[in-house]
This record gives sequence, C-alpha cells and structure tokens, in this order.
Amino acid sequence: MRLVTVTREGEAFAIASGLWLGGARPLVVIQNTGLLESGDSIRGTAVRMAAPIPILITGRGYGKMAGARLTPDDLRTSELLTRADVDSTALLTEPTLHAWGVPFERCQGDQDPASALARTIESARSEQRPRAVIVARALN
Amino acid sequence: MLTRAQLLEPLARHRTNEVVVTTMSVTRPWGRLSDHDLDFASADSAMGHAADLALGIALARPKRTVVCLNGDGSMLMTLGTLATVAGVAATNLVLIVVDNGTYEITGSQPVPAAGSIDYAAMAEATGFPRVFRFDDPREYVEAVPDILTTPGPTLVHVRVERGSEGPIGRSIEEPARYLRVSLAEWSRTLRDALAADLS
Repeated sequence: MRLVTVTREGEAFAIASGLWLGGARPLVVIQNTGLLESGDSIRGTAVRMAAPIPILITGRGYGKMAGARLTPDDLRTSELLTRADVDSTALLTEPTLHAWGVPFERCQGDQDPASALARTIESARSEQRPRAVIVARALN
Repeated sequence: MLTRAQLLEPLARHRTNEVVVTTMSVTRPWGRLSDHDLDFASADSAMGHAADLALGIALARPKRTVVCLNGDGSMLMTLGTLATVAGVAATNLVLIVVDNGTYEITGSQPVPAAGSIDYAAMAEATGFPRVFRFDDPREYVEAVPDILTTPGPTLVHVRVERGSEGPIGRSIEEPARYLRVSLAEWSRTLRDALAADLS
C-alpha cells in the first residue's frame, strides 16, 4: 500500500481516478469537510468515469448532531445551519452524496468500521462506481 | 510565441508509447493529430483536474511516460498539484502548461495575471528538477525528444497564440475515437490498453 497525500481534497479524486486507469486499486480517505470541497472533481472524474473508487469518510460534526438531538434526515433550514451548537458539515454530507449520485453507508455507534469499509470496497468493484462509507460513531 | 500546430506537431511526431492526457483548448487540436489508444481527453470532465489525473496514471504506471497538455487556466485552478507531483517525485510525468492567457473554451475570458505568470519558476520552487520555458518554436522543436525521454518530473511552460476552440461534443463529428464516446467508455479503453502492456 502507498499513501499519496494531496494539497486539497479535490485532487484526491482525480489522482485516484488516474490510478484506477493505470490499473491500481485506490482508496480515498477524506473528512466530510474535504468531501464537500471536492464537488466538481468527484463529479467529473470518479462518477463520470464510473471508476470503482471506495471512499472512507470521517464524519466531522456527527457528535454535535447527536448532542443537539438531530438526525441526518433533519430539514436543513437556515436556522439549523447557523446554530452555534450545530456543525453544518454533518448535516450537509449525506444530502450532498445523494445529489452527486454516490451511494453510501453510515457506520455509527458500535458498528464495525472495518466491516463497513470491506462492504464498500466490494460494492464499488461489483457495481463499477464510486461508493462511500461515513464513519460517524458518535451517532447512536 | 508558438502556434498550436508548432506546439502539437513535434509532440505527435516524437510520441511513441506515452500516455497523452489533454484538456480544454488543446483537446480537439490534438485529436486532429492523434487517435491513439493511449490518448485521454480530460474534457467534459472536472475543471482543472487534468494534471492530477495524469499524475495518478503516472504513479500506477511508473515505467511509462505520461504527458499532460494542461491549460494555464486549468493549472491555476490546482496549483497545489505542482507540490503533490514534486512530493511523490513522479519521474515519468511531463506536465506541459499551454499558456494562451485565456479560458478559451468558455469564451476566451482572460486568466488572472495573464502573461506575467512564470509557471516554470513555480514548478522549480516546489521541487521539479526539470523545467523549460518556450517562446521560440525552434528551441521547442529541438528540445522535444529530450523532454519526452529524460526523467523528471518535468514542467514545460509554452506560450501559445490565442484561439477559438469550443468544448468537445463527444459526437461523431469529433476527429478522434476518444472524443466521440463517453468518458466512462474511453476510460475502459485506456485502462485495457495499459493492462495489455505491463510496462
């Protein structure tokens, strides 16, 4: 395994797509904040190329979401997105993945991240498309 | 300053088995010269991400040279990629910045600081061991064989005349096979071509 660090998250999806073109098996490891930064890159490379790239997303803000008794399905109102006790990153992660056409699984509470990642890798390869797993263990 | 033909024709003449990634306003002109299984148009794709995509191919295929014909506007969108390339020491990557000073395919809006940016200096500052600057077509022609064969990573800054190319249509009217089919379909063609040769 080789680690390639990047200067900004959008680079990760283009590099991973190039790695896949060259016959490698890339995995993108990224925080959800960086995922939101990567919009045009993931759309125009991995999704557009149907590249089977698994994405491991660490979930910033899910702890605050749990603390505020919110769920990922709560309506994203301006009031909610501007509250001091809420991290909007977590609220916007899953709707954004839906919008980009990237299927995902959320790994929360006591669920095993290793098993979730293994399923994501297998699904990405069998479906020939990018797939994601969000690690949000603060959410029960 | 070079014409687009003065930039691309020497490359096409000397190209052997290199992967060539194109983007933006050189995509169709290169397609008029080359219809190779190892050509890849990073067009109808992600803005500014041809260089990093080419880097990925280069890392996966370290024995094969990968040439990226990038735009100056595209380069500015992902300047950090220069540091990424230098950091992984991708010796088989040749990154050519085709500097026309405009975002040509969206209507030739001027690039910020057009004409005054030294991309070779930027690359050198991030750690590229080989950088070139060309305004003179004769100097460029003489250097092309060395650029393609000497290990880098290499950055080539070429000033070219402005043009009027529009975006590609991925239709039968386009001049090369890889410009007529979807990005997903050609991705598999290139992947298969690279898999067929383990170099």
